[in-house]
Amino acid sequence: MWLTMFKPLFKSRKFIVSISIFIFIVLLGIVGPILYPVDPTGYAGPFERPPSREFPLGTDTYGGDLLAKVLNGTKTSLYIGFLTAVISMSIGIIIGPISAIKGGIVDEILMAFTNIVLTIPNILLAILIATYLRIRSAEVIAFLLGILGWPWFARAIRAQILSLINREYVKLSRMAGYSDLRLAFEDLIPGIATYTFMSFILFMNGGILGEAGLSLIGLGPTKGVSLGLVLQWAVLMEAVRRGIWWWFVPPGIIIVALTSSLLIITTAMDEVFNPRLREK
Amino acid sequence: MKDHALKPFLKYIGRKFFFLLITYFIAITIVFILPRAIPGNPLSTLLRQIFQQGQANPELIRSVHKTLMEEFGLGKPWYQQYTDFILRAFRGDLGTSISSYPKKTLDLIVPVIPWTLMLLIPSIITAWIIGNTLGAVAGFKRGSFTDKFTLNFSLIVSQVPYYWLGMLLIFTLSVKLHIFPGQGGYSQGTIPTFTLKFILDMLYHYILPFLSIVISALGGWAIGTRVLVIYELDADYVSFGELLGLREKTVFRYIFRNSILPQVTGLALSLGGALGGALITEIIFNYPGTGYLLFRALSTLDYPLIQGIFIILIGSIYLANFLVDFVYALIDPRIRLGQSEGS
Repeated sequence: MWLTMFKPLFKSRKFIVSISIFIFIVLLGIVGPILYPVDPTGYAGPFERPPSREFPLGTDTYGGDLLAKVLNGTKTSLYIGFLTAVISMSIGIIIGPISAIKGGIVDEILMAFTNIVLTIPNILLAILIATYLRIRSAEVIAFLLGILGWPWFARAIRAQILSLINREYVKLSRMAGYSDLRLAFEDLIPGIATYTFMSFILFMNGGILGEAGLSLIGLGPTKGVSLGLVLQWAVLMEAVRRGIWWWFVPPGIIIVALTSSLLIITTAMDEVFNPRLREK
Repeated sequence: MKDHALKPFLKYIGRKFFFLLITYFIAITIVFILPRAIPGNPLSTLLRQIFQQGQANPELIRSVHKTLMEEFGLGKPWYQQYTDFILRAFRGDLGTSISSYPKKTLDLIVPVIPWTLMLLIPSIITAWIIGNTLGAVAGFKRGSFTDKFTLNFSLIVSQVPYYWLGMLLIFTLSVKLHIFPGQGGYSQGTIPTFTLKFILDMLYHYILPFLSIVISALGGWAIGTRVLVIYELDADYVSFGELLGLREKTVFRYIFRNSILPQVTGLALSLGGALGGALITEIIFNYPGTGYLLFRALSTLDYPLIQGIFIILIGSIYLANFLVDFVYALIDPRIRLGQSEGS
């Protein structure tokens, strides 16, 4: 079943190109630090050198090797993005279906809660909470971004399940006396699988961009390296105005390539799986 | 608007207003709870630090300490702290800054707000208009080269963070080509006045941060509107209009109007994120707005100032949200006539 489902995807050129870029960056982040085992927090050599054979991406103000920082930063950013997505998704996948299946007062309360979290600007709240945390690990950052990002997803899932729940086969299952849990897992969740997967990707983007934003404002992870932290130091050390392009251009390119390839993967999937968008 | 149409309209607006009031109340409550709930109480750490530095200027430190104790009401029972906090927040008293003691935080925030509004509002509205138009044209001519180009361009551009685009613009147009100034809201050494010279200077400094927000924000709108227009192409009125032999331009106008509606609500929802992005953009450009003040407050751990900025920003966003809802109700006849609550 999976094979026939995903086969049309590989006919989409857009999908192939974007997933290749994504896999390439994931490899950069995972295999890169192993193939280029330079300590990203160490002091490798001369200050502010442009890219050369010895330092492929140059060095920063403290003589740190920027290639090592970017490779390890990519890993951290991917990790934060992934974890953010797992957290947001778990909350949404619990609240959305419960709201839709239970209905009534449970639905009212859960949706009121969802709408309140939705209207609180999450990047601002993340900034405020992060201010009070003196130690912020990558996990803490992901947790912060994750617990604030889920509302739109919970709402969309609720709406989709509401439209599924009135179909014949679900009614039959209800008549057969299936429990709510079994109903959710067997009849409803498969129906929202593609949408959920696409949302997961968007959550990852949110996590990656959110980490970069928090870091730039000075509230990123307090230890380790991430793409956001590389950018933050570039800004603090006035790299932009002093023309040290090799410091801030590569991490930005990785962020944009990563998030836009992920976004293009979702649109390609949408074009394949959504009949209304399919090319005629 | 006729009388019979006014009632559902007022009901809609009233509900929205009530919801925002509650949300704002919750936001203030979160601001109150956070410093008290997080383990290792950052406030008491700060107080201890202030005490330890007491040798330097005991007089000043003692008064800072006293103000902090009073404003945070530490030592009083929590419900009294809470009611004090809410009452003061509604009176517009947001506490005293630590880093710029004894200035009130509100006095520090008020002068920087116009800079942020001036940067944010024109740029997101411009991005909204350009992005939606681009997306609508692309969707209308779906499958064409224009469509494919717009879509791919928008997909990539929408993922470029404002601040990184800002860095690239500073590097290319300011550092390398010397066309625009790369930092500040006006030339260093000048004093803000209402003279033509100053305003021109300000606009000159405005271009780069403005562009970095407009360019990165328009992609998202273009992608959304393109899909909405494609959905709309299947609608009966479109086939009917085409059968009637309406000009393509007329049909496009109908489609455009219908598909743009959800994007109005989208504008309200995107404001928070846009503001966050703009704050960081201000830091990159050393632009004298709220983002820059927040950055300074963060680096000195000036908690009252941070809280004040947060309360003001979140309040402004809710106000803007409400305005957008109001506009939405005005332009959507279904809400105006009470046939649907909209979404």
